[in-house]
Amino acid sequence: MPLLRKVLDNVYFLKKWHCQNGLFSLFRPLVGCNLKWHSNYKRPGTPPDKTPPWKKIHFSFQKGIEGIKTHFGKLSKEIVDHVKGPEGRPLLDYMLSQTTVIWEFRSEEDLKNWVISSDAEIGGKSEVNLKLGKNNQSAVLFGTLNTTVPRDGETRYSGYCSMRSKPRLVAFDRKNPYDWSNFNILHLRVRGDGRPWMINIYTDPYFSHQKDDLYSYFMFTRGGPYWEEIKIPFSKFFFSSRGRIQDHQHELWLDKISTLGFTVGDKVDGPFQLEIDYIGLIKDRAHTEECAYELYDRNPKK
Amino acid sequence: MKCMRTLLLARELSVGRCTVLMKDLSKSDLLPLQKGVCLQNSRLVSVRSIHISTCLGTTTAPKDNPDNSKESTNRSLVTVEELFERTSVDAKNRASFQQAVNIFSQRDIRRRGHVEFIYAALKKMPEFGVEKDIDVYNKILDVFPKEVFVPHNFIQRMFNHYPRQQECAIEVLEQMENYGVMPNKETKLLLLQIFGNKSHPMRKYQRLMYWFPKFKHINPYPVPDLLPRDPVDLARLSLQRIAADLDARVTVYQLSHVEITDSGKSIDHPHIVGIQSPDQQSLLAHHNVDRPVFVEGPFRLWLKKTCVYYYVLRAELLPPEERKEEIIDPERNFYYPMHLDIDLERDMWDDLEFDIDEVEEGPVFAMCMAGAGDQATLAKWIVGLQETNPILRQIPVVFRLTPGPRELQSSIDSDDNREEEMSQAQRLK
Repeated sequence: MPLLRKVLDNVYFLKKWHCQNGLFSLFRPLVGCNLKWHSNYKRPGTPPDKTPPWKKIHFSFQKGIEGIKTHFGKLSKEIVDHVKGPEGRPLLDYMLSQTTVIWEFRSEEDLKNWVISSDAEIGGKSEVNLKLGKNNQSAVLFGTLNTTVPRDGETRYSGYCSMRSKPRLVAFDRKNPYDWSNFNILHLRVRGDGRPWMINIYTDPYFSHQKDDLYSYFMFTRGGPYWEEIKIPFSKFFFSSRGRIQDHQHELWLDKISTLGFTVGDKVDGPFQLEIDYIGLIKDRAHTEECAYELYDRNPKK
Repeated sequence: MKCMRTLLLARELSVGRCTVLMKDLSKSDLLPLQKGVCLQNSRLVSVRSIHISTCLGTTTAPKDNPDNSKESTNRSLVTVEELFERTSVDAKNRASFQQAVNIFSQRDIRRRGHVEFIYAALKKMPEFGVEKDIDVYNKILDVFPKEVFVPHNFIQRMFNHYPRQQECAIEVLEQMENYGVMPNKETKLLLLQIFGNKSHPMRKYQRLMYWFPKFKHINPYPVPDLLPRDPVDLARLSLQRIAADLDARVTVYQLSHVEITDSGKSIDHPHIVGIQSPDQQSLLAHHNVDRPVFVEGPFRLWLKKTCVYYYVLRAELLPPEERKEEIIDPERNFYYPMHLDIDLERDMWDDLEFDIDEVEEGPVFAMCMAGAGDQATLAKWIVGLQETNPILRQIPVVFRLTPGPRELQSSIDSDDNREEEMSQAQRLK
């Protein structure tokens, strides 16, 4: 729990998504608008950005043509997939699948689906890198954790590094969250160095006040030269908002999963490393728990 | 009694008869009262603010302390921290910290400036080494005056009653949370007395008590809080952790000692602790003698705040044409079958295989931890391993060590320095 607070501010980088399902997305291919992808966090003391919005638009005909090509390509693929069945697979195959691999790391392309961030964004001194492992078989997340708090007078905790998947986008940059409701266990094959990690799941928000909600659980690594398979039931994930665990816990609704992230922030200065082979899902019929956290009456009558 | 006297005195003062009383009072007693009067320009408030805890009884009336008059004239903000500096002249420890808290509590009956004091105390805690001590946290919470901040009517309860004080108490609890200190019954009692039942600090306490026990034992590979001091014990603990095999046997190949040769030169012999499981032994026994094995490392392992390094004896992955399935002779064992290939009626639901090519890596034959990471030390480990693995006398051993610690991954052998490595390969006999 103490990890939770200081660690999570980095993962709110998707606050600008609200505008994107409107008409604007149709012009997106023509207008290269640099969306602030990573965060809308403003460091204390920095002046507000006064550049007028029209100066942020970089019109480029070349880029527009390329955009149209790729997006219409995506659109045709989407249509074909839709005809085939859910997620581009036959319906029976989709419904009967016991396991599925969501992310694997076998090429540079796979790494492009992930964003890494560290407390350098808030003025800290941690470093984080992501690269492909030996024989292009895994992803290695490594770096140095540094808990030195930036001297800006407001920040109180520092020292985290994280990696987070990008939300899945389909043609014209419409978001297409994952539907994992067929499964109930997260399966990871990793090799760490003994540090604890936190796994954060961000669901696609319906109301804008839910945009900071996050579901998290911990992943402990054994260390050593062997790979280990870690299974985490989704029922164990606890609900937090803006880095604070909430009193009213509820189960993680798996029908609209936007992103998944790993965070290290165990307050120990030094290098860290995590190798990830793949991230998958399992349907375990023996696991029936829905939410592991019972609720109590806030003001009991006695 | 003394308390009652001060109470009466306060009332008298507020009414305005101070001139009479002024004379027969010692100055040190009066100073805090005077301040109170000028700040609270009302006739009744002074009565409210003198509630005293009966529970813990640490609240005592101000004593006639010779320093008292000196301190109260000093109004700068630094005074609070100065209190800690003064008590910790000799040593910064638990006793001096508690002494500072005691001095503050006894200085003034109203505990003026207690919020600042508590913030300062929280900041000083790691310096004094008491950041994981629940009793000290309770002592700090005890600095709050009792029953003053408890809301009395519904309006007070509805609005944030004494917000600065509540925030301060939450800060105390948050620091406890950050250091993993579980609050106890006394904490609860204190919070109830100070802020009342449904206050924010009480809620924070309830949250801590809900979540802490839930996450206390979720680590499947627990690390003891106090790691063994002895490097050999530490190495044993960490090797057993990473070996992930209960059959694995730890062997201490060498204890650290200093040898003095005849010429008077002293040679340090660092400790070498290794681990090998029966499975690894049989893997090594079947290893192709023509292919070298590698000593790699150092690799990092974190045990909470401690970082240790280990070395691995491993081989490269065999090329696919050399891999062969070992066929077990069905008559090798007459009592039970060594290999079962029964096509069980497996249901569709039982298939939990992932459709993925798994990462394949060369086998690991043994692991060790040593006091020094040089080649000579690790060669001793290999010599020690040869006793239990005679085949190791025929296999060339290549040392691929890096000067500093490195990642498991960077063992990618770039082909250009491959020859160089091979040249330093030792054929140990």
